Amino acid sequence: MDKDFAARRRRDLIIAAVLAVIAALTPLFVKDVVVQNILILTLMYAGLSQSWNILSGYCGQISLGHALYFGLGAYTTELLFTKFGVLPWFGMLAGGVVSALIAMGLGYPFFRLRGHYFVIATIVIAEIGLLLFHNWEWAGAAMGITIPIRGDSWLKFQFLRTKLPYFYFALALCCLAWFVTWWLENSKWGFWWRAVKDNPDAAESLGVDVFNSKMGAAAVSAFLVAVGGSFYAQFVSYIDPESVMGFQFSLLMALPAVLGGIGTLWGPVLGAAILIPLTELTRFKFGGSGRGVDLIVYGTLIVLISLALPRGLLSLFSRPKKTGAAR
Amino acid sequence: MTALLETRGVWQRFGGLVANSDVSISVGRGEIVGLIGPNGAGKSTLFNLIAGVLPPTQGSILFDGEDVTHMPAAERCQRGVGRTFQVVKSFETMTVIDNVIVGALVRNTVMREARRKAHEVLEFTGLAARADVLASDLVPAEKRRLEVARALATEPKLLLLDEVLTGLTPTEAQTGVALVRKVRDAGITVLMVEHVMEIVMPLVDRAIVLDLGKVLVEGKPADVVRDPKVISAYLGDRHAVGA
Amino acid sequence: MGLLYGLIAVGLALIFGLMDVTNFAHGEFLMIAMYLSFFLFAFFAIDPLLSAPLVAAALFIFGAVVYLLIVRFAMRAKANAGMVQIFTTFGLAIVMRGLAQFFFTPDYRSIPQSWLGGKTISVAGIFLPEPQLVGALVSILAFAGLYFFIHRTDFGRALEATREDPGAVALVGIDKNRVFAFGWGLGAALVGLAGAIMASFFYIYPDVGASFALIAYVTVALGGFGSVFGAFAGGIIVGLVEATTALVLPPSLKSVGIYAVYLLVVFIRPRGLFGSI
Repeated sequence: MDKDFAARRRRDLIIAAVLAVIAALTPLFVKDVVVQNILILTLMYAGLSQSWNILSGYCGQISLGHALYFGLGAYTTELLFTKFGVLPWFGMLAGGVVSALIAMGLGYPFFRLRGHYFVIATIVIAEIGLLLFHNWEWAGAAMGITIPIRGDSWLKFQFLRTKLPYFYFALALCCLAWFVTWWLENSKWGFWWRAVKDNPDAAESLGVDVFNSKMGAAAVSAFLVAVGGSFYAQFVSYIDPESVMGFQFSLLMALPAVLGGIGTLWGPVLGAAILIPLTELTRFKFGGSGRGVDLIVYGTLIVLISLALPRGLLSLFSRPKKTGAAR
Repeated sequence: MTALLETRGVWQRFGGLVANSDVSISVGRGEIVGLIGPNGAGKSTLFNLIAGVLPPTQGSILFDGEDVTHMPAAERCQRGVGRTFQVVKSFETMTVIDNVIVGALVRNTVMREARRKAHEVLEFTGLAARADVLASDLVPAEKRRLEVARALATEPKLLLLDEVLTGLTPTEAQTGVALVRKVRDAGITVLMVEHVMEIVMPLVDRAIVLDLGKVLVEGKPADVVRDPKVISAYLGDRHAVGA
Repeated sequence: MGLLYGLIAVGLALIFGLMDVTNFAHGEFLMIAMYLSFFLFAFFAIDPLLSAPLVAAALFIFGAVVYLLIVRFAMRAKANAGMVQIFTTFGLAIVMRGLAQFFFTPDYRSIPQSWLGGKTISVAGIFLPEPQLVGALVSILAFAGLYFFIHRTDFGRALEATREDPGAVALVGIDKNRVFAFGWGLGAALVGLAGAIMASFFYIYPDVGASFALIAYVTVALGGFGSVFGAFAGGIIVGLVEATTALVLPPSLKSVGIYAVYLLVVFIRPRGLFGSI
């Protein structure tokens, strides 16, 4: 048994490494800027979704307010950069820390809530954040912040002539989020999270610190999402409240994980790899008309996948062993 | 030697309802004690007070010489109180081995050791063959067993069993009884709540009968079953059920 | 204004609150209703107030069909039932928005002259806009009707029983799908009512629902799931809070007050004001 388990862990790691190498080599063959853009977004959403999955998938605390942390990451980085000249690299770290702290601060009251009350509270808090930034003059209010152009440099994490550095950073972020998940999955935290998700009372009786498990998951999840937000801000070089803290980001982070397989190691990556290119392609193909065909296609897809595969696309790959049969 | 578990004058009220009134019991090390009584006698309430689900309205609970009256369940588990649930609460999306690992993590911080411990416990409880099955796919008797396994993995000094033998087929109940004996032989004290006297009486060293929230009788099983007070409490219960 | 939120929320209170089914397309139901009454006005010159029953009837059918075609299957999901409900209805919302853009174009539309639009009525020296007043009236009636319906009729009891234990009601011969389809129809009809009234004084565009949906969720949750009266009280509180916030904060922040009050309420009472689940 133990050997099987160790082998599975190793296999996951090897597959991830191979995929990462393949992904790293794609820019050699893909020169098209539009396609590169799609790849960057795919990697970014894979990473974000992986991070969301830690709190919502593993620990079972469904958050539809992660846009808050995404936006906080973006804003912290850019405010530090434009107002104080702090390099985005430090801003990124600061954004992560700020988000993790806020996530834990919110955790005190939030984690007492259950079910719908919790989900709505997460939506509401992100909405409050959005409205506050909308009205915060110093942070650019509704106008947002345009990141000043200082020329290509790794130091300032800004590249105008080529998208490639962004691509590699997105890849690194995605790998980091995956690796953190992989590592935590087989740790005390990973087991505690899943126990808390399945049955908090039973978890408590087995010595699990339910509250702190949720806090830990929230902190890790928020930190990684905020780093993603910082990256996104540098990537698009212009942010305003709607474009980094809007409700759609909360959903876009959740969707890949849900469609791929919530609470699984590979679900978010798989979901993002299918969903994001599809979203972008439909938008590219039908969106120009402004007539909503992209929305129709996209929405139909979500409905169909959710209905047909409640466990996510990943369930297609897992052999139908004892898991599904007994039901 | 002091008792492993002691409740002193414990009261529990829910609004106007008194579920436990002035309950003082003690459980010695190495004993198997049965907590029995008719429906609504306050067994489950007392059980939950001991497990730390909620604090009593009044009175105190001592475990291993320490006052744990207001200690939360998770901490009591660390001190050595393990429990099962009357309504089975498995971690349904996790495999059997993973369920048990959660328990084992209380005393083993290194994953490898927790996993090894969990396998040991699965051997001990006869679930080894089902290690990689999802908990949701177990049959009810196996789920009960998993609850016991999970609790044992926390290496408790006191194991609280909440109606683990109720609702099993005679064969399943026999294996259950054997497992409880085995647990005691491993040096773990057992306090078990059961509704049906016939199953537990041959198994326990001592029985405590609750009725209407109070301790009615306490003593050797053979004496307890002959006690007129117990008989009338149970008969009364049956009449109530029949009516 | 609060009662208007109440009116939007009352349909949701039935679907989300009483039947415990997440409907992320609630705002889009509202949008469809508004378009319907717009077109009834544009082509047949039927005033929104008159077309309200028509719109409600159409939405009833729409709601029931949505349940039977989609939601029924989402509820049957064996795994992640909550997420499946959220994302199927969310997907539906996107499709509806897309369809609205496709057929109705993203343009803003409004009903220029209706019986209610832009008129005010003077009550004891205070001028009140008529549409809001009618909205409030209809809202109170709708709540009273729903309350009566849930607590006094067999259907209401069947609905509650079905939510609590679908297996058990099947044994006594209640068909879960019929009960829930009817519930969805009714919930949608109530939104239809709200949409028809709002059509006379709000701009109508494909994304209009989104701005009201979140407030409707908050209203229902604030009052507490499983309580019709709670949703009604929630609506009034939301309206009052919004009005008060508007006095002290800039208008763009008026929703912050509502959200803050929701958070405050659930921190103190994790099941909302009158919630039972």
